[in-house]
Amino acid sequence: MLVSRVMTLEKTDLYPDLFSAGDKIYFDHNATAPLCRKILSSAPELLEAFGNPSSIHQFGRRPKKIIRDARNQFAKFIDCHPLELIFTSGGSESNSLVLKSEFLRAKKAGIKNPHFVVSKIEHPASIKSIEQLKELGLKVSWIEVDRNGQVDFSQYQSLFQEPVHLVSCMLANNETGCILPIKEMCQFAKSQGAKFHTDAVQALGKMEFSLKELDVDYASFAGHKFYAMKGVGALFSKQGNVIENLISGGGQERSRRGGTENTLGIASMGIVAEFFPQQKSYIEYVRTLRDSLEEKLVSRISNLEILGRETNRVCNTSSVFIQGVDGESLLMNLDLAGIAVSTGAACSSGNPEPSPVLIAMGLSHAEAQSSMRVSLGWGSTMAEVDRFIEELEKVVIRLRAIKENGGEL
Amino acid sequence: MSKGRVLLAMSGGVDSSAAAAVLKEQGYDVVGVTMQVWDYNKSCDLTMEGNGSCCSSIDVEDARSVADTLDIPFYVMNCEAKFKASVIDPFIQNYLDGKTPLPCVDCNTFLKFDHLLKKMNELGCDYLATGHYARIDKDRYGNSVVVTSADTFKDQTYFLFTLPPEILPKLLFPVGGMEKPKVREYAERAGLSVARKKDSVGICFVGKGKYAEFMEEHGNFDPKTKQGVFKQYPDGKILGKHRGIHHYTYGQRRGLGLSHHEPLFVIKTDVSDNTVWVGPEKYLFSQRLEMNNTHWHTQLEEGEIVDVKIRYAHSGAKARVYKNENGTAKIEFLESQRAITPGQAAVVYRDNSLVGGGWIL
Repeated sequence: MLVSRVMTLEKTDLYPDLFSAGDKIYFDHNATAPLCRKILSSAPELLEAFGNPSSIHQFGRRPKKIIRDARNQFAKFIDCHPLELIFTSGGSESNSLVLKSEFLRAKKAGIKNPHFVVSKIEHPASIKSIEQLKELGLKVSWIEVDRNGQVDFSQYQSLFQEPVHLVSCMLANNETGCILPIKEMCQFAKSQGAKFHTDAVQALGKMEFSLKELDVDYASFAGHKFYAMKGVGALFSKQGNVIENLISGGGQERSRRGGTENTLGIASMGIVAEFFPQQKSYIEYVRTLRDSLEEKLVSRISNLEILGRETNRVCNTSSVFIQGVDGESLLMNLDLAGIAVSTGAACSSGNPEPSPVLIAMGLSHAEAQSSMRVSLGWGSTMAEVDRFIEELEKVVIRLRAIKENGGEL
Repeated sequence: MSKGRVLLAMSGGVDSSAAAAVLKEQGYDVVGVTMQVWDYNKSCDLTMEGNGSCCSSIDVEDARSVADTLDIPFYVMNCEAKFKASVIDPFIQNYLDGKTPLPCVDCNTFLKFDHLLKKMNELGCDYLATGHYARIDKDRYGNSVVVTSADTFKDQTYFLFTLPPEILPKLLFPVGGMEKPKVREYAERAGLSVARKKDSVGICFVGKGKYAEFMEEHGNFDPKTKQGVFKQYPDGKILGKHRGIHHYTYGQRRGLGLSHHEPLFVIKTDVSDNTVWVGPEKYLFSQRLEMNNTHWHTQLEEGEIVDVKIRYAHSGAKARVYKNENGTAKIEFLESQRAITPGQAAVVYRDNSLVGGGWIL
């Protein structure tokens, strides 16, 4: 069935029921994904259950059950125990929560300068939390990542000369899609007595993984990168970990995250997990599309490099360096043609610095500014890929001609 | 049928916002763009409307809201590095060189009509538009020329003398043919949220009158090294100490902190020893000036009498221009002019049309 879908490039029953981009092309799924339609059809019923899940009376029962069901569904999806999940407001909160909590735990245990080992390509939610904690005495050692998005294991191991309290490294990178060897890194960290956190926000729905198998202590997730709603996410915290609250409040989430629960949002994560059981075929389908897109890119456009192409990547992401083309102008041109991609700075528009991830991977500023990120989704089609390539080729030819002409056409 | 695609520079002010509405009504495909030129997070209260300036963060949001109202594509382009190198740094250096800079011209030269012109090509646009109060017309030979706006009080052609004449056919000034009250009316009719927004005044990145503080914060110099004495012009009698030469501009009367039997004005400044020369107003008058880095849109006839503006608020005075080979020129006014200030521009007009200009030495 998968093969036939790829071959005929038509929507079949396998096609996930997502909100569509209409006649526009949405190739920016790493920024956010379209919503699964099942959430809309379930919403009236979910919203009707307006009660406070913590209430003892019957109005609390339905929302409590909605949350419990979602917890079970999502836990099954990522292979953990339901009570190991803490629902949060999203990936940024999950990352902030685990880093700050572990720092506080270490401080309370009497460690004056807790030592974290963190990769250089983490999301700003992590990097900025680290910056904050540094002011309070955190010592950080950085894991280097090369141009192919790979970790040099001996460099990583060398960071453990001093005792390490926590390692934080993403499972899949948002810009390049590169998958990091979390299982091995985690094994080594454990052998050194360190805890391990992975930001799995960009991995969800784009690669198969099992938390049990990875054996990490913590993992962060966001609903909206996974066809669920914005404003909801989760932190997996392995049984036995003690969490220091980021948001103090009532006893919600077993006192690990205060605040009356976002019932609809939490339910949306369960719905996606439940209604996309054929994860594996989606992943293969998207990978086929992505690989075809890359082949076409390379054959149709000269002086173009796909970062990390030879390495282990999630199924949907292409990070493309196009020599002699300004990423900002490229993005605007494609947008005016109805095609959405990203230049790797969606979270930081207005920021003059090119993507810190690409810089950390060793690209020059100029190279990073000539880069574009294409991220496909479960609803993408080969027809879209072809239209995208067509439009991109036109734009690149024009931009290069203008550049050679010193700004004139 | 579209009349073509236009890249419109939107500041979030009423003029460029109305320009968007005008262009759309005229049948152009409008692409709005705001240049983020200065990081206001560092220095400004974000909630204050514009801080009497343009292009602050809140203005970017205003531009975005106008674009939404008109349903046109809108982008923010980060131009901070370019703005700092081409506008801010020279602004500070000019002051330290004892001049009174005119950053709006540099912004036009290096950002609006250079960077954005490139973007116009890159985005496949046919025209570049701004909310300037200026018009483009044809002269008797059929060449495009810049002509003063219908609103003579708001006219901004003074800031446009560096425009390369060959780009004029690509430029549109949609509100140049309107008077300000009409522009506001137009914006109101189009339902734009900025219709009643205050006009921007002064220099966008400085805020009201805090030039010296701005330079001390952002310039790479020790303010103490700029201190010196006030001398009486022309005899050289020392009248007191001053706070730093970057606090003073030609013709300034307020804020000198000197008590004297007659009103004192800054006559000139000398950066070689940080002297600020002060004296009675009569010494501020002069009948000639020299300028460099001139730009010419049209030819001048031998001995032709033209109108010359020596600052934005100047109403213009009759003069003759003598050009030199090396891009410098001399201007002789028929009558003496007050406070001809180095660093400002002298801009030459024939009737209503822009002939050219240069930087006063």
